[in-house]
Amino acid sequence: MNKFISKKDLLSWLGKLRETRRLVAPTRVDDLTLLTEVSRLEDIVFDYQNTDLPPKQFLFPATETIFSIEKKDGRVELVPAKVEKETVIFGVRPCDAKGILTLGMPFLEEPGDPLYREHCEKTILVGISCLTACPECFCTSMGSAPDDPSGMDIMLTGVKDGYLVQVLTDKGKALMPDSLLSSVDTPKPPAPQVSTVPSKGITEKMRQAFDDPYWGRLADRCLHCNVCSYVCPTCYCFDVRDYGGKNKTERVRSWESCQSPGFSKIAGGYDPRANKGTRMRQRFAHKLLYFPEHFGTMHCIGCGRCVRACPVNIDIREIIQDVQKLGVKEK
Amino acid sequence: MNPSEQIRAKAKELLDNKTVDCVIGYERSTDGKNSRPLFVYSSKDADRLIFDQTCAQNLVRYLLNRKDKVTGIVVKPCDSRAINLLLNEHQIQRDKVYVIGVACSGVAKTDWNKTSDKLRDACQICQQHKPVVYDFLVGEAKAEPAAEAYPDIKSMEGKSPGERRAFWEEQFSRCIRCYACRQVCPGCYCGECFVECLDPLWVGIRIAPGENEMWNTMRAFHLAGRCIGCNACELVCPVNIPLSLLNRKLEKDVQTLFKFQSGIDADAPPPFAAFQKDEKLGVAE
Repeated sequence: MNKFISKKDLLSWLGKLRETRRLVAPTRVDDLTLLTEVSRLEDIVFDYQNTDLPPKQFLFPATETIFSIEKKDGRVELVPAKVEKETVIFGVRPCDAKGILTLGMPFLEEPGDPLYREHCEKTILVGISCLTACPECFCTSMGSAPDDPSGMDIMLTGVKDGYLVQVLTDKGKALMPDSLLSSVDTPKPPAPQVSTVPSKGITEKMRQAFDDPYWGRLADRCLHCNVCSYVCPTCYCFDVRDYGGKNKTERVRSWESCQSPGFSKIAGGYDPRANKGTRMRQRFAHKLLYFPEHFGTMHCIGCGRCVRACPVNIDIREIIQDVQKLGVKEK
Repeated sequence: MNPSEQIRAKAKELLDNKTVDCVIGYERSTDGKNSRPLFVYSSKDADRLIFDQTCAQNLVRYLLNRKDKVTGIVVKPCDSRAINLLLNEHQIQRDKVYVIGVACSGVAKTDWNKTSDKLRDACQICQQHKPVVYDFLVGEAKAEPAAEAYPDIKSMEGKSPGERRAFWEEQFSRCIRCYACRQVCPGCYCGECFVECLDPLWVGIRIAPGENEMWNTMRAFHLAGRCIGCNACELVCPVNIPLSLLNRKLEKDVQTLFKFQSGIDADAPPPFAAFQKDEKLGVAE
């Protein structure tokens, strides 16, 4: 037996949630599908493969104040930033829920980032499993799957007139009372077939390929924009700057990318990754070598967003294939 | 021979004769439908070169990374104006570039894994179907210049300042400041971009409405009288901001005020880099 909720009940449940929480869901903005704070339930879209931008921005906003320094009655006070409202992110796909788990690893590793931790504690993920696969997805090669509930609090799977419901965590239980659900014998629809990439053993191959001229040739066509990092659900680099005012200064962090010229520039103007090839290698070595070595999991969840968004078709699937072959040639 | 075959044959000849060190053209992308830039260093790779209605990118920007080497480059008519722009601004040398110009009757609206027969908006109003500069010409221009070059700009001009403000505020609110527009632009080659300058700090790092607006408008102004209208910026924007509406508005204004269009003539002095004695400083004449 499976738990079931009708689409009508689901919408009224979402409406109720919105009274006390921030509700974020897929909506259409021009010709894009984006996760936005929902003001009208009718705006939520259900016919999407995945959102054009990942849910990253709701845990690690593109820009946020991490603390402020305020002058009050002749005293100077440090005021840490607070996350005011609980956020429910509705419609997250399995790859992106896994992406949030991955994104959290560096932020939550001791001593941990208090603001990120607070975002995590105040975020509830209501995901929807995938019944179709995008041609550029490769989640199963990166340790996820179209029906993988990891990282979600509640996972829905679309069936006729509604959704099968898996309540996975205490947070999820508190949010979705049993009274809303009925028991049905509708079977879970089969997960779609996803394309694969030869990711097995890639970490070792990346180490061997470190000094290969391949990276320089690949970088020929790279524009060194930051699109890949900014559409990536797991890229987490940021820059920090102070915004001063008369009685208040805010310390702000904003997304940055290892692809941007000057990202690694240090005092005196020296840049250890001044050429495009080393910057290109950094991105893929971080995803497929350094991160797995440190955290034991790939820093890519196979959502395919960078594949779709790259203006010059730098395609991580092709790079994984090429690097596997580089290793073979050397032997 | 079709355009792809002509380009391949020319590339092989140039590489085998050592006329050039590299030919920059297009090859099929990994979705099997679109195209992507290709750098060919050896004639054995030249057969990967293609040219068809999916070849949207402007490749001229890459010449800035190869100033000391002789490079062959495939350009469409709109892209060819970027070569004149860079020659005009002394960023490249004519004898270091071998231009394979391709006559073009428009590039299709393409997207990842999608093809279409419909022309891109920029191509529907195209005035330039034959390259303005080339050493070797592929194909012949069949299409006629479009009757109207700025229909979209005129309709924007018809809106009230309040409506335009609301429109742009909404568009810029989506900007993630990835700078793909800058990185692809043949005219955006400053050693240090104003948004990355720390002293003075012109604009902060926030990815937020005020800073986003500052970034997009300042970039547009830096391109006034310089933008060659290739629309590469709009093509690469991951959140589909219609940047050409800004850039071409300024192009239109410069054309009206100074009778100048960037990239048409490599020797014509650009209006903001030249001053004539009898020039009037007032805007209205």
